Amino acid sequence: MIALPAPNPATLARRDALVAGLRKILPAADGVIADPVRLKPYETDGLTAYRQMPLAVVLPETTEQVAAILAFCQAQNVRVIPRGAGTSLAGGALPLADAVVIGMMRMNRILQIDYADRYAVVQAGVTNLGITRAVEADGFFYAPDPSSQLACMIGGNIGMNSGGAHCLKYGVTANNVLGVKLVTITGDIIELGGTHLDAAGYDWLGIIIGSEGQLGIVTEITVRILRAAEGTRAMLAAFSSNAIAGACVDAIIGSGIIPVALEFMDRPAIHACEAFAHAGYPLDAEAMLIIEVEGSADEQTAMLERIKEICSAFAPTSLKISQNDAESAAIWKGRKGAFGAIGRISPDYLCMDGTIPTSTLPQVLARIEALSAEYGLKVANIFHAGDGNLHPLIMFDANQAGQMQKAEAFGADILRLCVEVGGCLTGEHGVGVEKRDLMKVQFTEIELDLQRAVKSAFDPDWLLNTAKVFPLDRLPARASLPHAA
Amino acid sequence: MIAPDSEAGFAAAIAAATAAKTALNLTGYGSKAGFLRPVVAGETLSTRAFRGVSLYAPKELVLSARAGTPLAELEAVLAESGQQMIAEPPRYGFLGGDGVVQSLGGIIACNLSGPRRIAWGAMRDHVLGVRAITGRGEIVRSGGRVLKNVTGLDLAKLLTGSYGTLALLTEITVKVLPIPEATGTLVLHDLTPARAVAALSAALGSPFSVTGAAYLPERAAAAMGYDRPVALIRIEDVAASVAYRLQALRQQLGRYGASALLDQAGSLAIWQAVRDATPLAVGADTMIWRVSVAPSQGPGILERAQSLGLDGYLDWGGGLLLLAGPATQAAAAALSGAVAAVRGGWWLLRAPESLRASLDAVPPEPAALAAIRGRLQSAFDPAGVFTPGKLHAA
Amino acid sequence: MQTNFTEVQLRDPAIQVADSILRSCVHCGFCTATCPSFITVGDEDDSPRGRIYLIKEMLESGSAASAPVAFHLDRCLSCLSCMTTCPSGVDYMHLIDHARTHVEQTFRRPWHDRGLRAVLAAILPYPARMRWALRAAGLARPFVGLIPQRGVLFARMRAMLALAASERVVAQGVGDVTAQTVHPAQGTRRGRVLLLAGCAQRVLDPGIHAATIRLLNRMGVEVVIPQAAGCCGALTHHMGKHAAFVAQAGATIRAMTDALDEETDAIIINVSGCGTVVKDYGFALRGEGPDLAGKAAKISALAMDVSAYLLKIGYQRTRPESGLTIAYHAACSLQHGQKITDAPKALLRQAGFRVVEPRDAHLCCGSAGTYNILQPEIASSLRARKLDTLTALSPDAIAAGNIGCLTQLAGAGIPTIHTVELLDWMAGGPCPAGLKS
Ligand SMILES: Cc1cc2nc3c(=O)[nH]c(=O)nc-3n(C[C@H](O)[C@H](O)[C@H](O)COP(=O)(O)OP(=O)(O)OC[C@H]3O[C@@H](n4cnc5c(N)ncnc54)[C@H](O)[C@@H]3O)c2cc1C
Ligand code: SF4
Ligand code: SF4
Repeated sequence: MIALPAPNPATLARRDALVAGLRKILPAADGVIADPVRLKPYETDGLTAYRQMPLAVVLPETTEQVAAILAFCQAQNVRVIPRGAGTSLAGGALPLADAVVIGMMRMNRILQIDYADRYAVVQAGVTNLGITRAVEADGFFYAPDPSSQLACMIGGNIGMNSGGAHCLKYGVTANNVLGVKLVTITGDIIELGGTHLDAAGYDWLGIIIGSEGQLGIVTEITVRILRAAEGTRAMLAAFSSNAIAGACVDAIIGSGIIPVALEFMDRPAIHACEAFAHAGYPLDAEAMLIIEVEGSADEQTAMLERIKEICSAFAPTSLKISQNDAESAAIWKGRKGAFGAIGRISPDYLCMDGTIPTSTLPQVLARIEALSAEYGLKVANIFHAGDGNLHPLIMFDANQAGQMQKAEAFGADILRLCVEVGGCLTGEHGVGVEKRDLMKVQFTEIELDLQRAVKSAFDPDWLLNTAKVFPLDRLPARASLPHAA
Repeated sequence: MIAPDSEAGFAAAIAAATAAKTALNLTGYGSKAGFLRPVVAGETLSTRAFRGVSLYAPKELVLSARAGTPLAELEAVLAESGQQMIAEPPRYGFLGGDGVVQSLGGIIACNLSGPRRIAWGAMRDHVLGVRAITGRGEIVRSGGRVLKNVTGLDLAKLLTGSYGTLALLTEITVKVLPIPEATGTLVLHDLTPARAVAALSAALGSPFSVTGAAYLPERAAAAMGYDRPVALIRIEDVAASVAYRLQALRQQLGRYGASALLDQAGSLAIWQAVRDATPLAVGADTMIWRVSVAPSQGPGILERAQSLGLDGYLDWGGGLLLLAGPATQAAAAALSGAVAAVRGGWWLLRAPESLRASLDAVPPEPAALAAIRGRLQSAFDPAGVFTPGKLHAA
Repeated sequence: MQTNFTEVQLRDPAIQVADSILRSCVHCGFCTATCPSFITVGDEDDSPRGRIYLIKEMLESGSAASAPVAFHLDRCLSCLSCMTTCPSGVDYMHLIDHARTHVEQTFRRPWHDRGLRAVLAAILPYPARMRWALRAAGLARPFVGLIPQRGVLFARMRAMLALAASERVVAQGVGDVTAQTVHPAQGTRRGRVLLLAGCAQRVLDPGIHAATIRLLNRMGVEVVIPQAAGCCGALTHHMGKHAAFVAQAGATIRAMTDALDEETDAIIINVSGCGTVVKDYGFALRGEGPDLAGKAAKISALAMDVSAYLLKIGYQRTRPESGLTIAYHAACSLQHGQKITDAPKALLRQAGFRVVEPRDAHLCCGSAGTYNILQPEIASSLRARKLDTLTALSPDAIAAGNIGCLTQLAGAGIPTIHTVELLDWMAGGPCPAGLKS
């Protein structure tokens, strides 16, 4: 288990006064939550292995309120934890005992949609899918599509630089955001970027996106919206081994074709998802690819024919092209519901999120299989094959003593393996608390110190989302956590 | 000029400069030395001796190269495998003639992208990882060689576009893509800027994956041999798709009047010109602006620029303006004011020596942000030796 | 998700069930996005995932429910949208049912809350009392202006009066068709069904049962109304008043069982809120002795929403197309509770209507049984939201299969009509009262 710092007793001792101060900023009856019963559901996020009750939760409704809260917390030397929908799989929104959680879910309005200039301005608590829903009647969409897109919020997406199955063509969050309104720990409201494509000066957006709430709180976001293609169609290609499926991925990309999505599932993943989605996944296959193309009906057919030809060279056990939108939707329902589907066959799972050079897939999967036997825990693998992002889902039973620790150790071994073959610890879920101490596997102390210094430039006292991302052993002087465990 | 051929050499040179508090002008081949503000530096540190592709995995769509690698060399390597740089980095004509060499590091440090930016993202969107050296002479890495990576703070993005004011980039890994099988262009004639941008917006708002959308007003058009203004819309894909989508677009944009199609060769030529600012009329004493606004604001800015004696053309669907004209303090102030009024961004790419030092080259920052920038620069470069003055007055 | 029940706790079969439901939740949060109370309030505590967490803590502690837990569980509409969304198949319905009973048994509500709940439970399930109450409320209506603007209690009083005085146009002079037990089939008998006469709908809109019976009879189906079968118990069930629920449901089950014969095809329910509960009798009454439990399971198995039955036996229109556009409002109990989504729309299309659906059709209209009375603020916000999306469609009428929704959505200038009345009309019955005006 990863240690959290001991709380600052001075903060805990002033709890009532702090809550009273916060209530002055948020007078709405339920804008400040301090009752322990009510706080309980905020003690964790998508990574339930870690739980910690916060000092209080605040639910602001305006940027100005966020600014007032941050200024107040800085003045009082109180830590803050930004929280969106709390779907982080890395424990990014995990509270600290002496911290105030700032929940963004009440800032859920879409402020402006501009089709001519192709952008939308939304508050941080709008869900990812909420943006697409608002523009889809006019043929547009917001491109990054994490599997959690129904629930996760755009502010959280900014926090984690979230990606999705269609990132191969359309990019991740960082590639689709034009501007943000950032509230700094000092309570200053700064507008970065705007409605134009390239912002002059430093790439502030680039450093804010993916900063896991370490640099400030984003309250408004200007995202690019794109016109959807005429149509899309998915195809399932099944193979008799992981290695063969991997080779087929190489061949597709090598041929110069870039499908809009290229997803890989191994046998356990196929079975779990099929049980949930009834999408007609091939249950006899060892590995399966979901390949999606877009364009007019003729374009789709032509492209799928080419891909089919490439796949045929790898002795597929089956090839199935979806015949209509409903079939395509079912195929994606299985993939997007994959993590939940695992919940049907196992009470708990850890979802890993390493990236690897695609060419190492067979080798990595073989090692994971060996580790799985060693640890005695089952694992299902889902892979954004186009961009090398691997999601091994480690299944365990948290009610069995010791299994959680075993699963964590197994996961850490997998991530070390990812770094060893040239990849990295996380492709889209972020470091959070989960991978904090593994950062040293990927970075040198010098590199980590530089990143810490960048954080200090924004947040000199380290009040924002403390104890995440950076190992706690070398914090800058002003960030001293005197009670660190 | 110092031009080491190893990272260790750079690190040593930088550490020495920091110790001696000698400012360094970080460069590749110096092609963009005249960009933005004048640098006050005791020494020039160049990457030109540190070159070569260090990793190329076509099937994984990644390439790593040392910062001093000439762009042309890199593009040749890619072309052998039928691939290319995605953001179409420009080789601005005003940098000089054929002899001008640009380094990969320089293109990344300036975050310069061509017409395809509108569809596939900017240079900064394709930088997957970097190796760099801080002002302490320490070698650091950020990002990696995989397409997706959110491990820690994204310093690679911060360094991209920082014009050498934070760290020296030594090696860069970029995402690359296959060269499309075919390229075609739809040309709309004789539209006013506002109508042209409306047409480009309609094209970009169509389901046909437009990868270039530019407008050449009269003078820029004339420079390219057209006797009237032209709006250009590009499609790149497999041949059948290009043909089909151009037809579909042509029909959909019928209300914008007569149109023509350019074949592959014609398309490649005109888009290279758009990429390289060929239509821009540049003299010895002109100032050159690169302006980024919401596309619908493009025509207004163009009009304002023309009223100030500048002229140029629109790319990125109307959202990027390349402008050139006689340099005066008043014109510069008026133009930057007009861009600021529509909350856009701008780079005064080039100006006569007499003006450069006294003008802002990029929009000034609000105080809270300037304070953060100050601390950030100290984090990377505690002695302030890197390319001082280039972006912001010291 | 990890749980922490002791072995002793797990010996209780009800806790065992709750434990396995809690274990199946992976805390992914998907359900929050489609939960009407979370969308309205914006607080994890008012989301399904938050409530599951609150329930987990409450049950694990083994102690009495606290005021905040009761508060947040009360704000759940039991719309079951979360169950439709959940990829892990978490059985939220049975979890919240269990939790509500626990709250009712262990938590002492403020006097006015207790009072109101007792009054609702004492009136709504009994048609005679309800008729009387509506008349009294009608008399009280002119005094609505005297009710203070602030305070939960007063808001609830206003909500009650507003509902009682609903501007819904209903068929007049229909009389209580449910007083007659056997309604014979016209022509050759193709089937025999029991119809649950229920409680509130009988009083609020007698035309719905009349239309149901007419339509089924015309299609050759004999309709039998067991007179002793009254309220299904949904109301007390959702209040966690388990004993009262067992009494009401038990009476209805016994009456239904007595009326069953070999040839009974189905037990028809035309109030989807009741249908969801009747279909769950088997589970809800599993611990009430083998006799009742056995009968309950049988009744559950036979229960069918009227739309599902009509689709099965083959509905046909006899009148020419009306040219009307009907906005179909999916009642939560139908779409989430019973997972019936296409049948009513297919039938309306067969009846020649142009069928349109609002955006966010998965969201509750705020009716939710007595929710609109007990939680007037959230309910009225949901009503406004639903009406916005419905009026955007400019329909000639709104159709739904649940009297609660029909009443909740009335008064916005668009007639709200039970699906079955529209179907009956197009098959030869009278034009629904709401459309005539
Ligand atoms: C089943 C499941 C599937 C998933 N699939 C994917 C996937 O395909 N791709 C993917 O990328 N991720 C995926 N995720 C992970 C998760 O959904 C993303 O990380 C998401 O972006 C988190 O958004 P959120 O609103 O829940 O944020 P939270 O979890 O609440 O917070 C995430 C981080 O952002 C910070 N933060 C939140 N709001 C703000 C703000 N306004 N300003 C500054 N910082 C803020 C928080 O402090 C935290 O560090 C999945 C999660 C689940 C449970
Ligand atoms: S969607 Fe299901 S598994 Fe996910 S949090 Fe909600 S109830 Fe739990
Ligand atoms: S039943 Fe409805 S209101 Fe209750 S938690 Fe589920 S979605 Fe929310």
